[in-house]
This record gives sequence, structure tokens and C-alpha cells, in this order.
Amino acid sequence: MNAPIIDPLQGDFPEVIEEYLEHGVMKCIAFNRRGTLLAAGCSDGSCVIWDFETRGIAKELRDKDCVAAITSVCWSKYGHRILVSSADKSLTLWDVVKEERIARTTLPQTPLQARLHPGSSTPSICLACPFSSAPMIVDMNTGNTTVLPVSISDTGNGVVPPSRNRFSDGSAPFSPTAACFNKYGDLVYVGNSKGELLIVDHKNVLICGIVPVPGNAVIKNMVFSRNGQYLLTNSNDRTIRIYENLLPLKGGLKFLEESNHAGDEQDGFEKLKAVGSRCLALFREFQDSITKVHWKAPCFSGDGEWVIGGSASKGEHKIYIWDKAGHLVKILEGPKEALIDLAWHPVHPIVVSVSLTGLVYIWAKDYTENWSAFAPDFKELEENEEYVEREDEFDLMPETEKVKESDVDEDEEIDIMGVEKDSAFSDSDMSQGEICFLPADPSPDVPEPQDKFVGSNSKQGDSNQSVSALSEEAGQSGRLTSHISTPLEAMDNSAAEDNGGTSSRRNRRASEVM
Amino acid sequence: MANNGNPTQAYRPYSLKKILTNHTRAVSCVKFSKNGKLFASASLDKTLSVWSSETLTKLFSLTGHSDGISDLAWSSDSTYICSASDDRTLRIWDARSAECVKTLKGHSDIVFCVNFNPQSNLIVSGSFDDTVRIWDVKTGKSLHIIRAHAMPVTSVHFNRDGSLIVSGSHDGSCKIWDASTGALLKTLIDDKVPAVSFAKFSPNGKFILVATLDNTLLWNYSTGKFLKIYSGHKNRVYCIASTFSVTSEKYIVSGSEDHCIYLWDLQGKNLVQKLDGHTDTVVSVTCHPTENMIVSAALDNDRSVRVWVQH
Repeated sequence: MNAPIIDPLQGDFPEVIEEYLEHGVMKCIAFNRRGTLLAAGCSDGSCVIWDFETRGIAKELRDKDCVAAITSVCWSKYGHRILVSSADKSLTLWDVVKEERIARTTLPQTPLQARLHPGSSTPSICLACPFSSAPMIVDMNTGNTTVLPVSISDTGNGVVPPSRNRFSDGSAPFSPTAACFNKYGDLVYVGNSKGELLIVDHKNVLICGIVPVPGNAVIKNMVFSRNGQYLLTNSNDRTIRIYENLLPLKGGLKFLEESNHAGDEQDGFEKLKAVGSRCLALFREFQDSITKVHWKAPCFSGDGEWVIGGSASKGEHKIYIWDKAGHLVKILEGPKEALIDLAWHPVHPIVVSVSLTGLVYIWAKDYTENWSAFAPDFKELEENEEYVEREDEFDLMPETEKVKESDVDEDEEIDIMGVEKDSAFSDSDMSQGEICFLPADPSPDVPEPQDKFVGSNSKQGDSNQSVSALSEEAGQSGRLTSHISTPLEAMDNSAAEDNGGTSSRRNRRASEVM
Repeated sequence: MANNGNPTQAYRPYSLKKILTNHTRAVSCVKFSKNGKLFASASLDKTLSVWSSETLTKLFSLTGHSDGISDLAWSSDSTYICSASDDRTLRIWDARSAECVKTLKGHSDIVFCVNFNPQSNLIVSGSFDDTVRIWDVKTGKSLHIIRAHAMPVTSVHFNRDGSLIVSGSHDGSCKIWDASTGALLKTLIDDKVPAVSFAKFSPNGKFILVATLDNTLLWNYSTGKFLKIYSGHKNRVYCIASTFSVTSEKYIVSGSEDHCIYLWDLQGKNLVQKLDGHTDTVVSVTCHPTENMIVSAALDNDRSVRVWVQH
């Protein structure tokens, strides 16, 4: 990759809005594993897949049976399937390449979030968090649902009688619960309205451990970092908490079961808390103590080094970025539209946010000129360096004229074929045939009269020619950056061509950066 | 001089298998498809021909350009061909239906070189108007217009994961660009002379093979140092494409203005074979992705495409 020649001096987080994507009203987003595709659920029930490299639409998943707003979208591990949950209480599982609907289930309540099992490449079970009842495991093939326990019953054995969680009996309180799979999907972590984190074995519907969250506030969101080592919780007490996952990544459930047998003889609740303390350790807390803002859609960066959270205040579009040590490093501020979803690119320092108006903003690093790129032996210095010339620096010695020294061993073996494994995707199993991109078929040209170039040598071009390289910058409104650099030898840098046109074309908007 | 270790087997020379004459003017470029089943040739006679690698017969022609064609490229799934023409446009052809699907307009002068990225959702082109353009395959729009050089751009190529583009130019420089932003990342050579006539990444993207109008070099671009020089051939005037041969031992293959094809050992830099037979400058060579087959093309006095195999 191009890692060796990118300037490491700049921090690895975005700074300004680079572009926005527009297509209908988008409500929620999800990157695929490598960040080459961005899926966006829309208010009309369709799911749009953007090719993140060309910033154009690669596919549109539309089902005539579903016209209600999409509440969440989730990719399967290697990009073969997408699960969407919708306001009409349904869950739909799509085959991405074939653009076909695999399965559809309707739940008793609108699922606010649905996540596919992360351990399989063609998952059919998913975790759904409905609007106001306990999270459940849904088997998309059979339609069976298994409600997960959200609190310890009075008997203290950790298994909750199913009737407790039914909303229909009226006795269960409004208990919005957040839940997520761990990295390989053998455990589900649930955050309940009493501010407790439950570690649940979803196959046996058993609570294995409990971690009470300080403050006991309702937990609204939960998400693991990509490497599965950290868990983030977002609570009603306006605090984002990061927990360190103490269990082994693979076989966490087995580890729990084994340590349970060896456990001490305590009664139910205390025992579960003891187990819980061996699973998660509180690592950091983030809050804005001045504005005391509630957080929306907090998540990790791809490498887990940064945490971002959106401000839930309606009149602003603010994204806070913290480093893992807990320092607030940046607040990104966009146009005054509420933020409803947020995602960090799995690999690049790019953040994508969805605003209430349905636009998706792409935040990236501010482009800075890399002066050392213009000549082979230029090197950028962080600060001035004193240069002391040699005694004979300016002497004229014709016999010892500078020879182009090659201090390179010309007999060294060169490997032109070997490729290193990309450490960012260490667990990728290439036999699964990961979908990194969707084939781009050129859309056929509209037939037009044959252009005549015969005998024309002028560079003016005729009227059929689109904008020439020299005049592409004229008249484009809303342009954020034009990459003009001081030419060393009449060599300028790129300037992107902007085209108006269909509503799915990209556009640029100014942003303020704090 | 050969000072690499003893080869495990004696070098098996390539020899001529077939001469394919079809074009009525100089052939400028030949390329195998990524799956090796087909190869295409482009010519100054304004057409492209698509051939079967197995039967070595012509399958069909692609016509539509109003002037000669200098370069062509295959998409990764071997379904699309993109051609760069003196008529200032690029055309995307469907190799299954033999039809032109799209015409990319925007360059203000001869388009000289073209390549797909590995995902084949982008096309990069270099032109005599000194710019490098990155096109969106789906819509045909230019995503980036890079004022890359001070003179005609002779060669453009994506690296293995599509994140970088290398460009070479008559102005003597070879530059590396970030494919997603169009930003300049590095300048490899900056001497005004000689012109850089060709540049491409190695299969693993770590090295760049650069041809200048006096010799051919293999660079490690992250350190900015050249590692090997391959010489002996004649390259003073034309932009001759060279390539890596990796199907058996590793070789560098290049055409030459003395009408021969040169093969050097990659590590030892020694010349292992010189294939002769063409009657004009061999301007383009391509290696089959899996078999030991080389196809070459030559200019106006010859106009043929020749197929060479190893016995």
C-alpha cells in the first residue's frame, strides 16, 4: 500500500467535509469490511450501495413490499449479504451481488437496530433490538425469534421466564435495550435500562455475567471495536464508556463456561457480577462536562485508536473525536442539521455522518501540499535545521567530480511477486471470496451524431467536447478546495471536475472546523 | 554479467509460433486479457483486433475510432477493453458483444496511454495535453484531472490495490499519484533528459519498471532508489512498452528499435535471449498470465503481431 510515502506528521483523523452524497433521504449507513462500499438505508424503504471510490451508486436494493423508512443496515462479514430493518417492523435479508431478497420476517415491534451474526460469511441469524422490548435473536430462514434475557429474575438463577419480557402483558416497563454481538458472535452483550451490562450466551439463552455500569443510567447504544478488544456503551447520563474486553477473542464463551465451573460458591447475582468483572474492565469515560450533551451513534475508528460521538442536540451537527487516552482532539462542525448516524471508515481517516435532511457528509483530512513530492531528493523537515557546510564544500576538485553513487547492492534479489498480508485485515479468510467491490458496468452512451475530427488540429476543440482541462474550474459553486499548488515547473496538481446533474451526483459544501 | 545462483533448469528459449497479419498500419499495442483467453491488438489503422490465445485466430474487430489508436487496456474480469486514440477520446468496448459501450471525452489532445484499476471501476489515461485523467467507468465522467507533467504523458499504470498511479512523461519525470485524491505523492526522476517513455508497477506493487530513452530501470519507489538496469537494446525514439514475465523464471521483456525482443533475467540483469524476426521496431510486448507465451507487435514496415512460445 502507499503507507511508506504518506506523510506521517498529520494526525490520523478527518478535519473537513470533503463531499456530500445525495440520494433521496438517507437515514442510516454502514461500511463494508474494507470500506470500499457504503450501504445507506433510505426513508422510502430502499437501500442504496455507494461505490466509495467513485462516490457513485453501485447498486440499489428495492423491494416493493417495503416502503417504510429503514432504521438500520448491516453487512455480513465478507460483504455477501445485507440486512435491513424497517419501520414497518420487518427485517429483510438481501443477497448483494444478485440483488435478490433472500428472506423477510416481520417482528411484533419495529426493530431499531438489526445486526447479522458476525462469525459467518452467509449468516442467517441476526440480533434485533426492537423499539421497546428485549433484544431477540431472529433466524431469518425460519422466522423464529428467541428473546434474550434483560435482567435477573428473582430466583437468581440467571434464566428469565419468557413472559417477563413480553410487552403485551403490560407489566414489563418501557425498557429500551441496546445489544451487540462480540467479534465472533458467540456471545451477545446487552445493556439494560437499569444500567447493567449483561453477557449472554444466546444459544442457551443464559446470562453468564453482569457488569453494573457506574451511574446506573439507561444504556442506549453498544458497539465493539473492529478488533473486538474494546466495548463502547452510550448511556443516558450523557457519558460514553469504554470497556476493555478481558475474554479471549475466539472461544470467549468456552472460556466463560470453564471458568464458571471452577467458580466460587456465591449466590446468583454476586456470582454473575464476579464473572462479569472477569469479562470487562472499565477503561475510559468520555463526556462533555460543559455542554453536557447527549451522544448519538458513538463508535470507534477502524483501528480502535479513536472514539467519535455525535452530539444529539437537534440544532447542530457536531462530531467529537477523542483519542484512546481520553483527550478530546477535535470537534468537527457541519451545517446546522441534526446528526442521526455516524461511521468511521474501516481503513482510512474518513468519517461519514448522516444529517436529518438525508444527506451523507464525508469528512476527510484537509489536503495539504506535500512539497517533498515535487523533486526526488526533497525531504520535508519539521523545523529549521542548521546546516554547517563541510570544509571543502565549495572547493573545485575536478578529479573527484560527484559521481552518481549507487550505494545500492545491484546484485540484491528482488521479489516482484510477494505480497505482505494486510495487517488491518488479519483475520480475513480469503477462501470466503470476500466482496471488495461490485463490478462496474459502463452505462451505455446516449447515441449522438458522430464527432468530426478530420482535419482539425486546433486545441480549441469543437462544441461536442466536454470541459477541457484548462477551464474546468470555472463556474462551479460550493467548491470546497481547489488543489492549486505553486508550480515548480508549470506542474500543477489536480482539480476535480464537478458536474451538476442527477441528484445522486456528489457535491461540495463548506464546513467550519473547530 | 550473470552472477545469480545456478538456475534450477537450463533456460528454455522462446521461438516463433505464429505470425498474425491483420492490421493495415503500424500496430501500437498488444495486451493479453487478465484470464489469458484473449489478446487484443491496437493499430494506427483505427481498429482493434481481438484474438483467441488458444487458436491464435482473430475473433473480431472493433471499429469506431476516427484516428489511430496508441494503447489499450483490459478490465480485470476480461469483459471490457478501453482504447486510447489520437482522436482525443477513449472508448470502452464490450469484449463479449464486440460493441462500443462508451466514449470518454475530455482530453484536448491525443490520448496516448490507458489502464484500468484492479477493481475496474476507474480508468486512468495520459495524453499529449500533459494531463492525466481518472474516469469513472460507470458514468464516463472525469473524477480527477491532474496537470501531471510539462510535456506529453507517455505512460500511466495503477498499482496492485488501485491506491497509486504512476505516470511517465516526455518531460523526463516519473511521478506517483494518490488515486483517490489525485494528489502528487512522489517524484521519482526529475532529470529533463532523457524522456521517460514507459512506467509500470511490478505485480506486487512494490517496484516500478521505468523505461527511459537510453535504458530500462527497476526502481524501489518507497526509497526512491533504482535497483537494476537492463540495457543492450535500442530505444531512442519510440515509447516501447516493457513488461515482467513471471510464469517461469522472472524476466524483463522489452521491444527494441533494432527489431528484436530482449529478455533479461530479472535478478542478474543479463540478457538471456534476443528474439528476432520482426522487420520494424517492436513497440509492444505482452506476456500470458499463466503460460509461457509472449506476443509482440511492430510498426509500419512490419504491421504484424507475432506469437512466441517456450518449448
